[in-house]
Amino acid sequence: MINLKINGREIQAREGSTILKAALDNGIYIPHLCWDRRLEPYGGCRLCIVEVEGQRRLITSCAAPVEEGMIVWTETPKVVKARKTVLELLLLYHPLDCPICDKAGECELQDLAFKYGPTESRFTAKRKREPERLDSPIVERNPNRCVLCGKCVNLCRDHQGVGALAIIGRGFKAKISPAFEETLDCEFCGQCIDACPVGALGAKPYRHRSRAWYMDEYQIICPYCGCGCTTNISVREGKIIRARGKEAIGINDGNLCSKGRFGFDFLYSEKRLTTPLIRKEGELRPAPWDEALRYIAERLERIKNAHGPSSIGAIGSQRCTVEDNFMLQKFMREVIGTDNIDSGARFGYARALEALKESSGIEYMPVDWQKPLEKSLLFVIESELTATHPVWGLNFLQAKKRGAYLITADSRQTKLARHSTHWLRLKPGTGVALLNGIANYIIENGLFDKEKVSGIKGFSEWTNHIKRFSLKETSAITGIPETLIEEVARLIASTPKRLIALSSGASENNKSKDLYIASANLLMLLGEEIDNLQLPAEFSNTLGLWLSGVRPLKDGKTLKDMLYKEGSLKALYIMGEDPVTVFPDGSTIERNLKNLELLIVQDIVLTETAKLAHVVLPASAWAEKEGTFIGMTGLEQRITKLLPDQGDSTPDWKILRNLARIMGYEIGRDINSIKEEFNKKLSAEGYVLEGSRWKKFQRPEPSFRIADLKVKARPEKPQEIYLLTGNVLQHSGVLSYLSKTLDSAVADAVLTINEEDAKRLNIKDDTFVKVTSKKGSVYLKTRVTDEVPEGVAFAPLHFPHARLNTLLTIPSDGEIPLEVVEISKG
Amino acid sequence: MEKRPRITMMLCGGTGCIAGGSLKVKEAFERELSQQGLADEINIVLTGCNGFCAEGPIGIVYPDDIFYEKLTPDDAKIIVQEHFIKGRPVERLMYKEPVKKHAIPVMNEIPFFKHQVLRALRNKGLIDPERIEDYIARDGYMAAAKALLEMTPEEIIREVKNSGLRGRGGAGFPTGLKWELCSKVKSDQKFILCNGDEGDPGAFMDRSIMEGDPHSVLEGMIIAGKAIGATKGYIYVRAEYPLAVKRLQIAIEQARERGLLGEDILGSGYSLDIEIYQGAGAFVCGEETALMRSIEGKRGMPRPRPPFPVYKGLWDKPSVLNNVETFANVPPIILHGADWFKSLGTEKSTGTKVFALTGAINNVGLIEVPMGIPLRTIIYDIGGGIKKGRKFKAVQLGGPSGGCIPEHLLDTPVTYEDIVRTGAIVGSGGMVVMDDLNCMVSVAKFFLEFTTDESCGKCTPCRIGTKVMLDILTDITEGRGKDGDIETLEDLANDIIAASLCGLGQTAPNPVLTTIKYFRDEYESHIYEKWCKAGVCRSLVTFYIDPSTCTGCGACARVCPQKAISGERKKPHSIDQSLCIKCRQCYETCKFNSVKTGPRDMFKKEENTEVLEEVKK
Repeated sequence: MINLKINGREIQAREGSTILKAALDNGIYIPHLCWDRRLEPYGGCRLCIVEVEGQRRLITSCAAPVEEGMIVWTETPKVVKARKTVLELLLLYHPLDCPICDKAGECELQDLAFKYGPTESRFTAKRKREPERLDSPIVERNPNRCVLCGKCVNLCRDHQGVGALAIIGRGFKAKISPAFEETLDCEFCGQCIDACPVGALGAKPYRHRSRAWYMDEYQIICPYCGCGCTTNISVREGKIIRARGKEAIGINDGNLCSKGRFGFDFLYSEKRLTTPLIRKEGELRPAPWDEALRYIAERLERIKNAHGPSSIGAIGSQRCTVEDNFMLQKFMREVIGTDNIDSGARFGYARALEALKESSGIEYMPVDWQKPLEKSLLFVIESELTATHPVWGLNFLQAKKRGAYLITADSRQTKLARHSTHWLRLKPGTGVALLNGIANYIIENGLFDKEKVSGIKGFSEWTNHIKRFSLKETSAITGIPETLIEEVARLIASTPKRLIALSSGASENNKSKDLYIASANLLMLLGEEIDNLQLPAEFSNTLGLWLSGVRPLKDGKTLKDMLYKEGSLKALYIMGEDPVTVFPDGSTIERNLKNLELLIVQDIVLTETAKLAHVVLPASAWAEKEGTFIGMTGLEQRITKLLPDQGDSTPDWKILRNLARIMGYEIGRDINSIKEEFNKKLSAEGYVLEGSRWKKFQRPEPSFRIADLKVKARPEKPQEIYLLTGNVLQHSGVLSYLSKTLDSAVADAVLTINEEDAKRLNIKDDTFVKVTSKKGSVYLKTRVTDEVPEGVAFAPLHFPHARLNTLLTIPSDGEIPLEVVEISKG
Repeated sequence: MEKRPRITMMLCGGTGCIAGGSLKVKEAFERELSQQGLADEINIVLTGCNGFCAEGPIGIVYPDDIFYEKLTPDDAKIIVQEHFIKGRPVERLMYKEPVKKHAIPVMNEIPFFKHQVLRALRNKGLIDPERIEDYIARDGYMAAAKALLEMTPEEIIREVKNSGLRGRGGAGFPTGLKWELCSKVKSDQKFILCNGDEGDPGAFMDRSIMEGDPHSVLEGMIIAGKAIGATKGYIYVRAEYPLAVKRLQIAIEQARERGLLGEDILGSGYSLDIEIYQGAGAFVCGEETALMRSIEGKRGMPRPRPPFPVYKGLWDKPSVLNNVETFANVPPIILHGADWFKSLGTEKSTGTKVFALTGAINNVGLIEVPMGIPLRTIIYDIGGGIKKGRKFKAVQLGGPSGGCIPEHLLDTPVTYEDIVRTGAIVGSGGMVVMDDLNCMVSVAKFFLEFTTDESCGKCTPCRIGTKVMLDILTDITEGRGKDGDIETLEDLANDIIAASLCGLGQTAPNPVLTTIKYFRDEYESHIYEKWCKAGVCRSLVTFYIDPSTCTGCGACARVCPQKAISGERKKPHSIDQSLCIKCRQCYETCKFNSVKTGPRDMFKKEENTEVLEEVKK
């Protein structure tokens, strides 16, 4: 620790800290405009200058490292005079827009002028006349108000890894703009908007909607991905007006992605259900709660008696709270008496967990948020973490900035791939071969601790199995040059402190369980603990849903039986899920659902699945109800009721409680008692709540398992191509498309296709094409780009209207679900 | 036995003389010599800048040391015939002393050259810069060999420290100390960088060295590289110097061929390679940290210090950046020792300094003089005094970062410490001499226009502050100056200096501050009397003819483009104000000082009173 004095006070600071940091950490305010804790010191605004004894010139406190015995003064006449002039100059060319500027009341320049003056200016100047830029989605720019603090530019380039904005021009004419002053086209994460100290950057949905002082601010957990970021939402008269990230708040430390920042307006979709609906004479008609619940209760009893409890099933929701899901499984197990309950996690997270269990005996392994920053080598395989878990993905970029190796194996040029130290552009679905090849190379060259590792169960069968993955063979399968595989293998073997991360989304069709097993194998070979395999749960409550027991625990039917096996069920209760749109082979699902005697759908909007239901129940959405999310890190976080109910919508858990009561069962009284019961159940299973984090002590029993490359089909005919499905950054599952703001950035299931393929198939950029698989056809718009390699086309699954899921078939066990499609002119 | 040439003609191939046609002169010589069959007896060599740029194209005949000036291709034939064949040097083409007009044939007797001591410019005019053999023949790379093979880094640093060499780029930071600080930092990579950006308008000291003696820079960098433990070197040259880039590139390739750059130089175990990086037209990239960002491919904006580049420089590795002239001084220090270097100059400002002497002076050109020489000597003895016999007004030192020194301070010795006391700085060596035809307010405005345009825009005081100062100056020169403007300029200047991030902003107000200090009366007459006495600011001057001294020679009327001057021969002339466009031709032409300047409203007042009288009636 370094000892120094600031304004006469004895301060202690860590070595390498700056004067500004030391001051702020000790409650001493030094004004600053261009400093952000996430960035390297910029030193541009000149407001943080201080006097240091022994130094002739005023020192930039945001950049100067602390030194032992330093004596700093922050408010001497010399400093105050210089600071006042700097403010005078800033205010001179800053337009007097306060009356129409949305930043008023929260503006750092306003606050500084208020605190430090000057009250009058010696100069007059002509207003700058830059046109306001409203031409891009979501982000509005008013360059006249810009004080050139550079935060947006530096944040976008160094922190987000995008660099969509830069300073162009020089001197007084310098201004911040996208390249060639064209329309801003970027990730639309909005980090720049939150960072801007004045009203130069803003969010279009927020423009002129409210003054800052009329809004109330609350903290809530984002409903989208598994990161569990805390957003600060501003509410006015019962409506969320905007969401921001705030420094030092939440696991995300103030960082947010476009979903967290702009996706909240899904709440205000016109599709919101406000009243229960019952199908009468073929049409869904509004009905009161009592009638709807009794309708359900009656028919469930009847079906249960006639066909037995195993003819009834339920599907839970990765986005509903712990309490909602816990009540659903209680309803099914206690009221109905069946183990037939599952969720969309079956196609995603469940595979990862299955692999984990087989490889190590571990059942529960949340992600460690900080881990990427502690590692020297990060290996990400066929996963676009910066799209699926954007804020956690930033840690990977940060780690690389600090000198870690970031190795990405992905056929697509993702943001992660662009920032990687090594990008292995493999053929899609061949990740298992790559891992087997790397492992084999390490073994053949003795680059591992043979004594320690050969004692692990399954070692010899495994080493024999991967023998055939020579460099040559691996290169032939994956398409990666031998020299690169060798280089990476050597790097992985020789760099200590490694991590492998894989996403496990239901919409990603490039992985099977074997990829996770192969990853676990590699880690074991390197002598790493299994928790260096980071498997982030997909959505905001995927982990919570899993812990609530929304999956068959004994011999119940999984999603595969319930939705795809004809006649498997007579009744199905679907909560917060849209199988017809989301899961593969939508037409089969639709057919089977139509044949049900009773289909109950409980959701916030009238989904495609709901349109087939006999009864539709309106559920409360996020922020309209109380509840708990357990995010991918095992962190338990509460969401609270901050908004009024929409119509007659009711929280899911309450609907189930009331339904159970009608059927004569008490399965939970209130939010607290339900959570208490959940806690007890977990404790009984060996889970411990440490602070707010759920942990489980498990002794890993590592064993090497065979991981093989099983592909469903390969393209054979000339017009056939692999269809890769996955995520785009701006969307998450099928909730985000309801957000008009997010849709203004990305609203289409665009098919990205390689230039060579486009030429070969005679299709052009930005046109409609017909995409056909065994299961049917859809029409998609094209974008010709080299972000996808030859032989692969990619489209996201977020958009119901595209009906892309109808093309996909479910794979059999262990198969990689890559689809082969034909593409022709639309 | 190989035939050696009996005569060598060194023609100046500096950019200035090339612009004056020296390449054509060279061709003419070669043609004539081959016609006469003398091509292998007489050698024509193109050298770097000779320095006496006002008199170019220049050629010096060796071994006689005869200096020829203002050569044309026709002169080549005459010199060959008369001088080379008949042995009679051509007096017509020699330098003529300005007063008595007698010829001074030998270069080192010409006053311009007599007072100079060439150290950084030791090879000036004596080598072909595109031949490494020439450089080696004049003890080139001997210092590098000594440093690499016989000295430790500590010894090298000690020698340079003792020499007292200070950075020649302008800041004057002790070079040995900079090397010492960097040498102590442990790092896997270190960089030795040469600042060849030379952005000061009109400065060409570094250009002459890079064009005329590129190996001196390389040798200096090798020695510095060994001292700090550099793993790679870069020379940052402004793109506006294509000849310098070309000559440096040739020099690097030749050095590589001879094993003087690259792996294991001279078998010493030390390896260094040097690469050239070209600038892209930004003055601010001559600033240390901005230069490093530019090499990194980023926008050339400076960084706050601390941390200093010797600790965290190029790509955050320890780096030393030195000026071209600084590097050129290093090899002689190693060869001849610190004491030799200190034998010239003063205690705190040792050695010599190269200056680019320009402006209203007779002998415009490049000079190298011992530090401590009085300004007066430079301007009058070397510079030959003010052109056209006009009166000295001020000398501007240090370019846009420097200041103006008035007549009464001309005895100030040129040292870092003495010049700084006047309010100016020695700077990189640009010296612009001004006479009574210069308006000091305009001069300040010129420099401030430059710095405002070149400001990178990162920090508020420079980006906005210099513009505000410029707006005030513009108002003053266009007649909108008001009471309080001078005080505002001073106050704002001090805050800009205190708060700016880098040297550009910290020194941009200097020209304004020094001109206010020494020529406040000019500011006041611009503001209060609306009168630019030098006749430069067009909206603040009235040109009129003083009838009491006008001889009626008509010279002014002949040069007036508007035909605004009328008068009979030998009778006082007068200027029709309604036609006058204030071009100053008459003012500059009159030999009798009869054309005078008056305030803007000089005649308007009379008109106003006339109108008032009318109204009164």
